[in-house]
Amino acid sequence: MESTIQNELFDSLRLELRRGCLILAVLAQLRVEHYGYTLRKALADEGLAIEESTLYPLLRRLETQGLLTSEWREEEKRNKRFYRLSAAGAVILEQLLAEWNGINDSLHKILEDKEEKQEKKER
Amino acid sequence: MDLLERYLQAVGEYLPARTKADTLAELRENLLAEMEGREEELGRSLTQGEAADVLEKHGRPVLVAARYLPQQYLIGPAWFPIYWFTLKRSFPFVVLAYVVTQVVAWLFQGGKGMDVGAAIGHFPSVALTFWGVVTLGFACFEYAQGRYFHQVNLSKGWNPNDLPKLEPAKGKRPSLAGGVADVIVSSVGMVWLLAIPYKPYLILGPLVGHLREMPFGLTPEWHIFYWQIISLLAVQLVLKTVMVFLHGAEQWRKGFDMVVQVIGILIIAVMVQARTYMVPGTSVGAMSMKDLTTLNAAINLGFKVVLVISVVKLLWDVWKMILSSRTGHKGCVTVF
Repeated sequence: MESTIQNELFDSLRLELRRGCLILAVLAQLRVEHYGYTLRKALADEGLAIEESTLYPLLRRLETQGLLTSEWREEEKRNKRFYRLSAAGAVILEQLLAEWNGINDSLHKILEDKEEKQEKKER
Repeated sequence: MDLLERYLQAVGEYLPARTKADTLAELRENLLAEMEGREEELGRSLTQGEAADVLEKHGRPVLVAARYLPQQYLIGPAWFPIYWFTLKRSFPFVVLAYVVTQVVAWLFQGGKGMDVGAAIGHFPSVALTFWGVVTLGFACFEYAQGRYFHQVNLSKGWNPNDLPKLEPAKGKRPSLAGGVADVIVSSVGMVWLLAIPYKPYLILGPLVGHLREMPFGLTPEWHIFYWQIISLLAVQLVLKTVMVFLHGAEQWRKGFDMVVQVIGILIIAVMVQARTYMVPGTSVGAMSMKDLTTLNAAINLGFKVVLVISVVKLLWDVWKMILSSRTGHKGCVTVF
């Protein structure tokens, strides 16, 4: 029972943690043009699997926010909607990456400090 | 592919007409690509069951469609605490306004035969209407901000210097000086109450001269009620004195306070049962008799209201005591 609650809590926190990261990953991946399915495959190949029901609406939302541009184009005799990072999206991506790196560095520093203190204690 | 079309049709049911065709066209392409990718992995066409698996994994149509819609709240997380606070703070006033309205309506109807059960039974619909109106008000505000006026930023425009002064810590043991002062005040109150029958001006002031001219008199129930209150206050005074002088008796205080509250409720219950509080004097006309009936009914209703409030307060204190014993915090019970 307790382990089920813990798993649910972990899933919920994991989802929260991933939410912001996914946007960053999608924006970064769309520096190269993709349509929905190939974008999902590309992200999965990089180790970041996203549910299609999460990714496709996210693309629409990012486009509405002006971070992506899209166009319908025929490929392999089928019409597909291709997405690409917009100029505004590129600026935001740079800012978000700086923020991400800052958070990452701080987190590593916190973890290293704690490990050092733990080692000193053990000695 | 029939399954895919049925799925898209189901998703389309929940999409707005303006973006429906475009969203479904894109979704069709993505799902077809998903299925083709799966076929490539297997090296054959998908069976009906495998195609169904792809769609099932993609999600229930209503949820899929919801993800394409803008995020909507009836009351968003920023305003929900304010909404909840408003409901909690205003609810006692709703109860009070309802009681006053019922009493006034009853008095206007001649003060006869008030149906307390019906009045209580009608209250949930009043409370529900109040909740609905407040919720609707906040929902309209939530909808309008950002659309018709700028988003209100709650984290700005406040000054920490405007915060209320620090309240005394709850559950803190009363000081010795405070306890002694409480005993002195209670003793003076007892002496004052004991002196009233001999010196009525202590409670009535200048109105004492008009008392003899009144066509009504008090019933013996008042005499009993008076001595019951005196007894209760005497018990309280003894308990308060014990609390001051006996160190470690604090843990018993809550229990003693509860006992005193229960005695108080019993006294009020006796008065509710009495029904007649004023009796006619020597020269009372028919009109005065009617007034007397109204007056007795009003006093009875007053006792009923006090009884309900006292019972609710006792239950609330018991609930707080149970909670504090669960969490290990010292509760704080006040004597009504």
